[in-house]
Amino acid sequence: MNTKSPSIRIFAFFISAMTLLSISRIFADTNDLTSRGTMAAAFGLAVPIGLAGLGGLWSERAGIVNIGLEGMMILGTFGAGWAGWQWGPWAGVLGAVTFGMLGALLFAIVTVSFGVDQIIAGTAINILGLGLAQFLAKLAFSNAPGGGQSQSPPVKGLLPSVTIDFIADPLNTLQQKGWFVISDLAGMFSGLFYHLSYLTILTVILFVLTGWTLWRTSFGLRLRSAGESPSAAETLGVNVIRYKYIAVIISGSLAGLAGAYLAIVGTNVYRGGQTAGRGYIGLATMIFGNWRPMGTGIGATVFGYIDTLQLRDNANIRGLVLFGALVLIALAFLGLRSGVRATSLAFLIIGSALVGGFLASTNMAPEVAQVAPYVTTLLVLATASQRLRPPATAGMAYRKGESH
Amino acid sequence: MKKGVKIGAVLAAAALILTGCSSSNNDAGADVKVGLAYDTGGKGDGSFNDAAFAGLTKAQTDLGVEFKEVEAGLNSTDASREELLRLLADTGYNPVIAVGFLYGTALGNVAKEYPDVNFAIVDSVIDSPNVASLVFAAEQASYLVGVIAATASKSGRIGFIGGMEIPLIKNFEVGYNQGAQSVNPNIIIESKYMGPAGDNTAWNVPEKAKTATEGMIAKGVDVAYAAAGGSGLGMFQAIQAGGGPAKGLWAIGVDSDQYTIPSLADVKDVILTSALKRVDVSVYEVIKGVVDDAPLTGVQNFDLSRDGVGYATSNSSVEPFKAAADAAAEKIKSGEIVVKTAE
Repeated sequence: MNTKSPSIRIFAFFISAMTLLSISRIFADTNDLTSRGTMAAAFGLAVPIGLAGLGGLWSERAGIVNIGLEGMMILGTFGAGWAGWQWGPWAGVLGAVTFGMLGALLFAIVTVSFGVDQIIAGTAINILGLGLAQFLAKLAFSNAPGGGQSQSPPVKGLLPSVTIDFIADPLNTLQQKGWFVISDLAGMFSGLFYHLSYLTILTVILFVLTGWTLWRTSFGLRLRSAGESPSAAETLGVNVIRYKYIAVIISGSLAGLAGAYLAIVGTNVYRGGQTAGRGYIGLATMIFGNWRPMGTGIGATVFGYIDTLQLRDNANIRGLVLFGALVLIALAFLGLRSGVRATSLAFLIIGSALVGGFLASTNMAPEVAQVAPYVTTLLVLATASQRLRPPATAGMAYRKGESH
Repeated sequence: MKKGVKIGAVLAAAALILTGCSSSNNDAGADVKVGLAYDTGGKGDGSFNDAAFAGLTKAQTDLGVEFKEVEAGLNSTDASREELLRLLADTGYNPVIAVGFLYGTALGNVAKEYPDVNFAIVDSVIDSPNVASLVFAAEQASYLVGVIAATASKSGRIGFIGGMEIPLIKNFEVGYNQGAQSVNPNIIIESKYMGPAGDNTAWNVPEKAKTATEGMIAKGVDVAYAAAGGSGLGMFQAIQAGGGPAKGLWAIGVDSDQYTIPSLADVKDVILTSALKRVDVSVYEVIKGVVDDAPLTGVQNFDLSRDGVGYATSNSSVEPFKAAADAAAEKIKSGEIVVKTAE
């Protein structure tokens, strides 16, 4: 590899991955692996996880570990269901963000101002969020027509979604041809322009905006300094407490938005329990994504993609196993060339074993399929980011002026 | 003495008020108070729990009973479910009806503590003299909708969306498959569960059921049946988004007549029929038993011959398929067809 430019390397990496994916698709005979429907659904399942992860990122960059994301997300689903039922989907989005923010405000008061242990406070927020949403749902929806104690009546109307036919349709036709690599790329890009919800677009914008704000503006520098070295920041005149508050509240609003996506786009009702642990999964993708928007986004997309694969068709997972095996073998050969013998041999052995497993099996046990998203995301992110570095003071309480 | 008089007066007044209340309603059930404990899916799930509520409402109108509803929260433990049931039994509710197998352990413990209260549990068998175990031949209802699905399918591919992968739900799948294969032995049946045993989120993830159904449609499935509690909504939405009846796509509901459920009004057009598990009939029979002083006990098997299961006909589009389904129902009742179960 003599290419030094990161964008060329990312491009080469992407094309190699697509080539291997295409080989797997052809050998496993699962056209659905890169179909438009799979891609579109994958983005759909990735959005709530990605938003939760992004929420965690904001908060942790300012030094506050926010494991209360799940609770804030639950509050968000309630806010979305309630306001959406009353006044339509956009009001639902606003309601969700507001409810998420309220949860975050409470969390900020407790952790930032009173210095309560962040893990304990976060757990409390999760319990409180769940209980409060159930209680409010009982009050609001029990006697509403079409609702119940744990389900809101349907949200009034739908959020608009974009389908750019003249791009999506020809690409979809191309995908169905089953051509090597070309069809896979076509399917993927067709999915990008097919039934794309406004909230999905907003999510992508928020990821870019987060990266830009935190790493390219003085506001972001100050916010990160509140997480890396708050006393140093304070000596330079940064109002650390204020930045921590802002970060946690943005964090909560993003978690709320994740809830809105589930209750408004994913389906069109609030249902008790519909977050199904996604706040925690988001937090995990953020950590393995090395506290960076790019890593978090990739983690969420991989998880969404594989969850979609197993939901749509168990046979897809067979293709995925082959893909994983090919990736390992490819990595092994790259490793042998640059002289990391032990790891490469291990990769080669595991890869070959997986190929053997693939050839020996004709279908995939549903149990294996169900855990596939978790295992793969963990493997991908764990191998991709071996040097994780959290913000230096994440999880520690900070008292104003304590270092003087 | 004075205190005694006061208490006496209060009691007399209370008695007057109470008799006043009941005399305004002459039915035999006026002094029966029914306690109903919902499953985690809760009232408004558009299926199972709503069916229990329908039975309760019927008992209220026909028999004039009073009732109280409680619902176990999502993270309930056996201990907290026990508390709910104790609360009902302690405050004079009799019968106490628990909706759902999740109450099994809790109800078994509480029933022993209150031998004079009549308990009933849906979908579980508790061996106790004061408990009626209400079980349903869901596989028979699923057989009938399997017949309908296979007859309605033009592609020869049909789908099944299950909630949690447990024997109770597998019975639905097994019956459905058998019914479909009786019409078309070569039919291909795609099946997907929303979670493994123990994963309670399986009932509450409509967006996942939607993704799974989209995958089935992509493979050519044109009729799909969900036994997945609240997740089933996602299947209806996917069938609707895929074009619905206009494109030959149909969905089949479960437990309640989902075509008539208010919370599903947006998607009712795609609901061809529903496999009925007449939880409403069973709840009503339990209440009636107590009102008539002949409470139900032991295992009560609600099957086709008792009208405990069936299929819904409220959507007139099911008309062309009724003959086949009714013929199958007769054969099941006569014993000519034996529907298999998962166990």
